[in-house]
Amino acid sequence: MAYVELHARSAFSFLRAGSLPESLVREAGRLGMAALGLCDRDGVYGAVRLHMSGKEAGVRALVGSELTMEDGSVVPVLVATRAGYQALCGLLTTVHLRAEKGEGRVGWAELAEAHHGLVALTGDLEGPVRGAWHAGGARAAEEAGERLLRIFGREHLYVEIQRHRVPGEERENTFLVDWARARGLPILATNGVLHAAPEDGGVVDVFTCLRHHTTLDAAGRRLSLNRERHLKGAPEMEALFADLPEAVLNTERLAGRIEFTLSNLGYRFPDHPVPAGESQDSFLRKMTLFGAQQRYGSVVGNVRRQIERELALIAKLGFSGYFLIVWDLCSFARERGSLVQGRGSAANSAVCYALGITAVDPIESKLLFERFLSEGRTDWPDIDLDLPSGERREELIQEVYRRYGRRGAAMTANVITYRGRSTIREVGKVFGFPDDALDRFSSLYHGGDLPQTIKLGEQLRMAGVPDSHPRLLALLDTCRRVKGLPRHLGQHSGGMVLSAGNLSEFVPLENARMPGRSVLQWDKNDIEDMGMLKVDLLGLGMMAALQDAVEICARRGRPVDLARLPKDDPAVFRMLQEADTIGIFQVESRAQMSTLPRMKPETFYDLAVEVAIIRPGPIQGDAVNPYLKRRSGEEPVTYPDERARPILERTLGVVLFQEQILRLAMELGGFTAAEADELRRAIGFTRSQERLDRMKARLELAFRANGVSEPAIAYLVKSLASFALYGFPESHAISFALIAYASAWLKVHHPGAFYASLLNCQPMGFYSPASLIQDGRRHGVSFLPVCVQASDAKSRVDGDTTVRLGLESVRGVRRQAVASLLQARGERPFASLGDFLRRVDLGAAERRALAGAGALNALAGHRRSALWTVEAFHGQDDLFRDTDPAAEGELSPLERMTLLERLHADYTHLSLTAGAHPMRLARPLLEGVSTAAGLRDVPAGARVRICGSVITRQRPGTAKGFCFITLEDETGLANAIVRPRLFEEARLVINLEPALLITGRLQNEKGVIHIMAEEISGMPELGLPEQSSHDFR
Amino acid sequence: MNYAVLLVPDFALRALQRSDPSLAGRAVALVAGEGRTARVTEASAEARGVAPGLAATLAMSRCPGIVLRQREPESEVEAHRLLLAAAFTLSPRVESTGSGSCTVDLRGADRTRTEALMRLRAAELAASGLPPRIGAGATPLLAAYAARCAEPVLVVDDAAEFLKPLPLSFAAPAPGQEAILRGWGIMTLGGLTALSKAEVGARMGSEGVLLWERAAGETNRVLRLVEPARSFAAQWAYEPPVESTEPLLFKMRRFAERIALELRGAGMVAEKLSLTLLLEDETDHRREFRLPEPGADVEGWLRVLGGHLATVRTEARVTGVRLVAAPARPPEMQEGLFDTGLRDGASFWENLARVAAIVGDDRVGTPELLDTHRPDAFVMRRPLESVTPRLAEPVHPACGPTLRRFRPPWPVEVSCEGGMPARLEGGRLEGRVRAALGPWRASGDWWKPENWEQETWQVELSGGGIYQIARSAGAWRVEGMLD
Repeated sequence: MAYVELHARSAFSFLRAGSLPESLVREAGRLGMAALGLCDRDGVYGAVRLHMSGKEAGVRALVGSELTMEDGSVVPVLVATRAGYQALCGLLTTVHLRAEKGEGRVGWAELAEAHHGLVALTGDLEGPVRGAWHAGGARAAEEAGERLLRIFGREHLYVEIQRHRVPGEERENTFLVDWARARGLPILATNGVLHAAPEDGGVVDVFTCLRHHTTLDAAGRRLSLNRERHLKGAPEMEALFADLPEAVLNTERLAGRIEFTLSNLGYRFPDHPVPAGESQDSFLRKMTLFGAQQRYGSVVGNVRRQIERELALIAKLGFSGYFLIVWDLCSFARERGSLVQGRGSAANSAVCYALGITAVDPIESKLLFERFLSEGRTDWPDIDLDLPSGERREELIQEVYRRYGRRGAAMTANVITYRGRSTIREVGKVFGFPDDALDRFSSLYHGGDLPQTIKLGEQLRMAGVPDSHPRLLALLDTCRRVKGLPRHLGQHSGGMVLSAGNLSEFVPLENARMPGRSVLQWDKNDIEDMGMLKVDLLGLGMMAALQDAVEICARRGRPVDLARLPKDDPAVFRMLQEADTIGIFQVESRAQMSTLPRMKPETFYDLAVEVAIIRPGPIQGDAVNPYLKRRSGEEPVTYPDERARPILERTLGVVLFQEQILRLAMELGGFTAAEADELRRAIGFTRSQERLDRMKARLELAFRANGVSEPAIAYLVKSLASFALYGFPESHAISFALIAYASAWLKVHHPGAFYASLLNCQPMGFYSPASLIQDGRRHGVSFLPVCVQASDAKSRVDGDTTVRLGLESVRGVRRQAVASLLQARGERPFASLGDFLRRVDLGAAERRALAGAGALNALAGHRRSALWTVEAFHGQDDLFRDTDPAAEGELSPLERMTLLERLHADYTHLSLTAGAHPMRLARPLLEGVSTAAGLRDVPAGARVRICGSVITRQRPGTAKGFCFITLEDETGLANAIVRPRLFEEARLVINLEPALLITGRLQNEKGVIHIMAEEISGMPELGLPEQSSHDFR
Repeated sequence: MNYAVLLVPDFALRALQRSDPSLAGRAVALVAGEGRTARVTEASAEARGVAPGLAATLAMSRCPGIVLRQREPESEVEAHRLLLAAAFTLSPRVESTGSGSCTVDLRGADRTRTEALMRLRAAELAASGLPPRIGAGATPLLAAYAARCAEPVLVVDDAAEFLKPLPLSFAAPAPGQEAILRGWGIMTLGGLTALSKAEVGARMGSEGVLLWERAAGETNRVLRLVEPARSFAAQWAYEPPVESTEPLLFKMRRFAERIALELRGAGMVAEKLSLTLLLEDETDHRREFRLPEPGADVEGWLRVLGGHLATVRTEARVTGVRLVAAPARPPEMQEGLFDTGLRDGASFWENLARVAAIVGDDRVGTPELLDTHRPDAFVMRRPLESVTPRLAEPVHPACGPTLRRFRPPWPVEVSCEGGMPARLEGGRLEGRVRAALGPWRASGDWWKPENWEQETWQVELSGGGIYQIARSAGAWRVEGMLD
């Protein structure tokens, strides 16, 4: 006799079960189970993972869900047919869309309407029948059972019997068996599985505590009585149900009856509406050739051949409608004046270039089309669109909803998992660890999930939890098990899924936290696995800044066409070579700035390489130093294999791009296009190391069979592994380099517009507005303070190198208030402060903020005078509103603010200062401390002290525990490197102090200056205003 | 000099340090708030770079080894009573103004004598770990301002000159007022009073006017007087309990200092001391000492108490201590009029405690099931003083045989066949198993070292009788018999 578990829950039941679907499948496979039914709570969140891992393990994945009913009971249902699946998804969508997140309840009448194709179980303790038996006795249970019977009928209702070796359960089971027999219903053995193996039971207890906001010590009988709710194989279940063999037998029968799996989802992408007489293919062809003519002038030769080849393949794979839809979305964005640019592998396609989806000419850049689309490809190619972040992107998203309906399109989910610091904190609380230890732990490991150089146990010891703590081992073991389990469902940054007809027939939709958006229950990997199409509408802060800068230039009568910028501007490359890149897209990080003077980019392609090279992939693959040395002639250019020369020539024999790996696999390993595509997916699939390992092994064999030498194989396979850690496709690097180049060009030629646009599009980039302003000042841009008589809402350029800060920069002043101010000023300028106060409807705090920021100086003389006067104004309904408070302002008895007071007021009200850097005031107190600019004159190896506001703290996973700190002073930026040991000693000081004094040895490698820190201390006595810093991995 | 204010800066911290000798000489800070929002409220001089308002985490970074503690209300109550006792030696009209602060009405007192007395009290309080600042002035407000500036005693005669340079915070502006005034650059009381009162009122309303008046020292008020101590007792609970006499002696000194001052303030002396040690086993150790000579001499008292504590041995650790001084001139009262027949109303509980001392704490009281899956887990609670309402009838009343539990369970050897009990041997029960039902499994407390796991069976023996047996930690026990 075989046994199939038909009522399993995974961790996608969110805090109700403790194993991933993959773990359940693995265990089911080990137990020899032919199928496994997953019934997560109110959704099919884990169904795809179960399906995909089931395919690999030979376990048939059956889809189901537990439905929370209007009376609070929980009905498990299994999907028997595709119609049933569609009905279930529709039902769940209806329930989720009408309620707050997690609050949806299914009405009994709704279930009665949607039951076709579903098989119901009577459920466990929370089920309607057993719940009623406990609460109201046998009669109540019978009534609940009769209701299920009326809805599902005898053929589709199973009476679920569970045995968990709990005293008293047989009394209940006797009732259930008797009732089933009396009504002619089949009984079904299940184990109501909550975890894969017995040892995972603790995770369920911890989740129970998290759900009930309690601790393990206080949870009492809410915890599991024993650890019997794990997957059990046929022998064990047969022994358990020796007196009811049909209960076990029925599991196999029912599994056999279920014809639906996710293999036959039936998803179809929508067609694009085309003119009469046109097909999807013909219309795409027409629009592509038209676009190509615009791009290339004439469509002949190479261009013609490539386009024809691509169009033929697109038509053959049935993707024409998809290209048309993306083209249409780009057109929609452009018609509304929005920048839009395709990124990623789409830039490898000449069709995408012709349609205006991408901005990179793949023929000129010799990009590999197969990276984007190939004959053997079964899934949809990626076309990701970069849009200005904010309103313009939201406009396009809402347009997609408008076109396809709330049930026809949805955002992709993003599964937020338990990770690092947050796991320790949450689980530690459940274990009853003291708050102060957990707080200290959080502070020690401040700034996100910084990769740590010390083990978790040691970290906890430093936080005050001794090694001998009686619960430490259990905590560490539980954290290890909890890590990677889903915590909640978020929203992908921009992935929208579309379908022909209702998307909610293929996957349930829910309300996203953001109003006006819905999200589906699967993440991007699930979407890809199910062959569904996702269009990424990604918001880029820099796109918004470019858009803003272009508009500023146009308003000033100096229009800029970003598509036609000369790509060989010497001034731009000079600036890049000098690493003068604050504010420039992708190359402004400390790591990028350290590489630029060594890289010395001279061409646009060099910039693309620069963008791609400082990524975890190339860094882990040891590609960076060889490339830079070869470039500077310190090392000869060699190739792992002579056949690799044409592929690696442009990158000096070093593998930098994903396309190169694919081409090497094809050229040196004899991979077909389909195999190369499989390789691409393995690289991009972050969930399964096994999948990548299998591909590596295949590739190794293929290289060996084709006579590639062992050292070359080792090098190439290492490169492949490193790309799984995030490496760029060449096309993507080129697309990003376009944006980087455009931003650099603006910084050189329109610095006013450049800085104004960056300020207007915050938050974005690595640096705070305060740092951007200081950088602007060093580039000759002057910043004028906010002024109610002169400022616009946003920052504006007055003269080539003068930026007037916008009124929206003032913290605590509503946008609506700014609009009302501008409207009043538009009618006529403010004659006096009294006139201003009477005509603009502002709150008291807003009046104070404007006065404190100096925005009323033009009307009041100075800030104190303004602050004195605004307090005398008591609102629009002030009985004395006809008196002119400005007259009193002239008689203000208050002294003007000192420079230091103005500085603090600036940071209080604006988080920045348009004036000098605060360090200028502190400088007289810093004897023997070098300025950032002064470091250039210090010989390498000399001991030096630097001091400044911390503007970045970075501890990348690739840096083996080293920490990189950037300090800002009145002359520029100074970088320090902190060794792991010093970092651990001074962790709190580094993480928490806003200003640091660092002593260490100066290193100068080809113009790249660092201080190797030896001593670090905080500088609270300087009294500098606190500046925001960006802390990241 | 109409009023004096006795003020202990960083009172909560001082009170804590005074009560915990282990904090002496160490960098200590008090924090308020939970988690990452925790901020320092008071810091000792040793805590360099740490100031009120600083995040607790930042305090840890700036001052490695700093001890961060929450406020301890019991210590503050004890310290405040000492301060009040000192105040009552200056005048019988005393207001308990706030935690660590009291105001004394000195009107009619001799200035020279009072000033000398203030200096003496300041020295005594400082020696007792509670260094005060004592200020005197024409109004309670001025005296309070003076106290904040005193080192340790300051008498203000020229109010206007004194007030001018004082920081604005002396006048206790509300946060909103403070923000406005900071914006105006007003940092001192003189800065505020330099502005026209009417103009301040026009901008900050009536609250602004009150603030201005406080800045000008114009505010006067009537004191809310408190009664001097009527009983001369002190008590302290130790958490965790103590085993040595050192902490007891330390606490005795603190108690004695305060009680002696209270007696002096009331013009009395002690003739008898009563010492009670409360023990962890809920018993206590009591001893009365008739003083050889009635008085308020702290050192004399400590000699008596210390001599006894040096020899005393208790069965359990000390959880609390109480010291009561019987005044030499007891208040006149009619004894016995309101006495009940029961001289000790809690004799029932005392008797219960005595029984518990004999049979063990865990065997006296009313059993109450614990909220755990652990079989038969219960705790004995104090008997309830009221009868609880009867629970609703269960939906599924218990049925089947009743388990008669053996207490304690009988150890037994069990041989198993095919994973089921087959024979019971040894101990008080032997026989072949005719039928077995089970197992039922339970486990829990997996996160603790004392985690447990139990497997339970019901077995019918061939010689008759149905028993419940259980295996836990590898050993079998007969839990009871099924009737």
